[in-house]
Amino acid sequence: MALGALQDVLHLHDVLARVSLARLCHTISRARSLDERPDIKSQFNAVLYQLLLDPSERVCFEAILCILGKHDNTERTEERAAGWYRLTREILKLPEAPSTSKDKAQKTRRPQPLIKLVMRRLESSFRSFSRPVLHAAARVVQEMGKSRAAAVAVGLQDLDEGAYVNTFAESAESLDSDMNDNSSEGIRRTTSVSNVTGGKDTIAGMLASLMEVVRTTVACECVYVRAMVIKALIWMQSPFESFDELKSIIASELSDPAWPATLLNDVLLTLHARFKATPDMAVTLLELARIFATKVPGKIDADVLQLLWKTCLVGAGPEGKHTALEAVTIVLDLPPPQPGSMLGFTSVDRVSASDPKSALALQRLVQAAVWFLGENANYAASEYAWESATPPGTALMMLDADKMVAAASSRNPTLAGALTRLQRCAFSGSWEVRIIAAQALTTVAIRSGEPFRLQIYEFLHALAQGGVQSQLSEMHLSNGEDQGASGTGLGVLITPMIKVLDEMYKAQDDLIKEIRNHDNANKEWKDDELKKLYETHERLLDLVSMFCYVPRAKYLPLGPISAKLIDIYRTRHNITASTGLNDPAVATGISDLIYESTKPAAPESDSLDDDLVNAWAASLGDVPAVNRVNEFLAGAGTDAPDVDEENIISRPSVSYDDMWAKTLLETTEMEEDDVRSSGSSSPESTGSVETSISSHFGGMSYPSLFSSRPTTYGASQSSIREEPPPYTSPGRDPYDSFENPLAGRGSHSFESEYEDRESSGNPQFGTALYDFTAGGDDELSLTTGEEVEIEYEVDGWFYVKKKRPGRDGKMAGLVPVLYVNRD
Amino acid sequence: MILAVLFANSEGNILVERFNGVPAEERLHWRSFLVKLGADNLKGVKNEELLVASHKSVYIVYTVLGDVSVYIVGKDEYDELALAEVIFVITSAVKDVCGKPPTERLFLDKYGKICLTLDEIIWKGYLENTEKDRIRRLVRLKPPTEF
Repeated sequence: MALGALQDVLHLHDVLARVSLARLCHTISRARSLDERPDIKSQFNAVLYQLLLDPSERVCFEAILCILGKHDNTERTEERAAGWYRLTREILKLPEAPSTSKDKAQKTRRPQPLIKLVMRRLESSFRSFSRPVLHAAARVVQEMGKSRAAAVAVGLQDLDEGAYVNTFAESAESLDSDMNDNSSEGIRRTTSVSNVTGGKDTIAGMLASLMEVVRTTVACECVYVRAMVIKALIWMQSPFESFDELKSIIASELSDPAWPATLLNDVLLTLHARFKATPDMAVTLLELARIFATKVPGKIDADVLQLLWKTCLVGAGPEGKHTALEAVTIVLDLPPPQPGSMLGFTSVDRVSASDPKSALALQRLVQAAVWFLGENANYAASEYAWESATPPGTALMMLDADKMVAAASSRNPTLAGALTRLQRCAFSGSWEVRIIAAQALTTVAIRSGEPFRLQIYEFLHALAQGGVQSQLSEMHLSNGEDQGASGTGLGVLITPMIKVLDEMYKAQDDLIKEIRNHDNANKEWKDDELKKLYETHERLLDLVSMFCYVPRAKYLPLGPISAKLIDIYRTRHNITASTGLNDPAVATGISDLIYESTKPAAPESDSLDDDLVNAWAASLGDVPAVNRVNEFLAGAGTDAPDVDEENIISRPSVSYDDMWAKTLLETTEMEEDDVRSSGSSSPESTGSVETSISSHFGGMSYPSLFSSRPTTYGASQSSIREEPPPYTSPGRDPYDSFENPLAGRGSHSFESEYEDRESSGNPQFGTALYDFTAGGDDELSLTTGEEVEIEYEVDGWFYVKKKRPGRDGKMAGLVPVLYVNRD
Repeated sequence: MILAVLFANSEGNILVERFNGVPAEERLHWRSFLVKLGADNLKGVKNEELLVASHKSVYIVYTVLGDVSVYIVGKDEYDELALAEVIFVITSAVKDVCGKPPTERLFLDKYGKICLTLDEIIWKGYLENTEKDRIRRLVRLKPPTEF
């Protein structure tokens, strides 16, 4: 057979030749066309197994990876699952060694379980001092974890890891030992650690001893080896085992400042991949992600983190939703970081913010968490105004407000907890957090039913009116902001929010009156009365949609009693529920002429959350993180990593000018400025000095009061109307002074994505027309006649750069458009 | 495939570089990344002690040889361990050419021969010759083996 020649390759010195041999054998043994010739397949398998004994670790690991089903960057779950099954079940009958001196290692005559051989080889590799060997061994363990997860996902039977693995093929007993039986596991573990060959080991025991060795490797000096070990631990973590040890390892590792940001993001992406393989681990992974958020907020990619939150929350399923939300938002309960405190370093729950940049990033993450809570509290609590899992019983309506609220809270602890957190954030915390908390509360109020809506309404009222000055600490008063009469500084903000709720309640009251009138006088509803009702319904829907997404087909701003009447009007005039008055046919009144009279739509068999989930799915396409995650999951990516900004080392002048590209120096200098934590930034973008997440989620397909560029986002939006209804425009002006600083800062990151790419090509210059004194940190003072370079424009302000620092010592900042004359 | 081979001095200036299958813009990133990697990690490392790094599906192995640091970047079948083999071949060849672990001065003196040797060892991203004798003969433009 051709195998003879291949046997010779086994003895070549060329390592890569033997690696190729391993791949070849694996490919042939999997070939479909050889299905009728199992003898050929087994011959090639035998060669593959022989390579497991190869002295070079490279070849041995390649053989192990082939067995596990990983032979290239594509991930095929069934193959990986089959690989794990093979690893745990196969018994090797190794052939008699051919009599050459090289094969002294091949002394075994008795059949060995494959997994034992693999474990032994891996454990000895972990004792090596060579870092590449440790890295490679950790990677093999990671792949083992992936195969194991694939096997569990595919649902392979007979995967009992508590089974004994006997050395004799004929009598392969498998005891019905429970995998979770800890006490007997402990006994077995000690047996396997003492490495008795030919004794009885369980797979779980062998894995446990291997993982012990792997865990000790986390003490390696090389960061990359540690990262690979952590990835291996994440993949080998089973959803049924406690992950405390993993948590503490990660927490202590992340306290090490030597970790580069790209590596941290790599581990974060591994969490994504792990979730995809094992959705059951959603809550565990969120807990691990929390460690990242609290320990190294400045280095991780906030987009990826938030995407992880979202996918894990949705993937946690109806039972896990509450815990998932808890895992994300418990960050809001933590005490604020003490700068310079060493306590935060090793403990999981304390936050460390040792430098201003990470303190800022942490604050951004807190804002993101608050927004996340507002958006997802209803989903997690399964409580919506149109569909509640815990509807108030009629008896409860008779109680007074406090008792009603208390009763509702006990029925829905998720929502109650969320509201408590949001309320706390609205009181204390920086002004950015308070604003977002107020917005989040409005979202929850709009989407929830009673009595939650009322509860939030009263709270918002209290906030607007103030009387909580005593709760504010000294720190917050130094912001320089206009506190407003209320002392919380939110009065101006909350007014339109309260107005929306007022409108809804007023319209509901009016409707009840009308219904009573009709009932008392026994009148039928005339068509134009219905039309007025419907128009009010649509108007309120539009108004509400300004604040947050609601499903137009289901949401009833006029209350559940309006449902029937609205339906009557709709069917009479053939208006589809989702488009409503947006449909031009409807708006012009000719819908019943155009559309065929249809039966009312079949009741949607959607689950409770489909609309929102669909909205999320739609918006997910816009999220930049999705591309990064998908790229990672596909195994792609051979581009160079970005150099960390913080640790740029300045170089002395060079003598090898042509060999050492001058551009090397320029790119590193520019990357110093670009502190954005998103992946690949163009070297020219010097716009944003701060990472700004608030704009991302503010603009992420939900029209936000603070999205300062509604027109550009309008194109990528779903069918939410962008134009504000006329009556809110007077409401918008009073907080221009609020909006601009936020918009100015908040728009930097997505501004720079659009604007800087445009403006980097053709720089614009201008001259100052008048003097201008900066009113805030983002603004720049101007002297008449000064020359400036205009970077971009936002909402009536230019972001400009000067050649020389001015009165205020700054060289870049915002100036009013009208103050600058463009050249 | 071996994506890049880079020699740099102790200050981070690049002395020799070879890229395979890397577009020009990316080379910039790689240069800065590798030099930074060396600056961060190569202090106090023993001669020829191997260090490893990885990024997505790319592996990097690097070491110090005298005054010069060597970086090899690879992907697919050239994982950490294969790159360890490659770097071993390269370091032994350089030591062979220079007579000892080279100072920067010595490296630059033998620059031409080192480049020729490097091109015999790695060609178009794959490891070609690994035996010292064969490489030496090829560099001298003599037939690689005696008959």
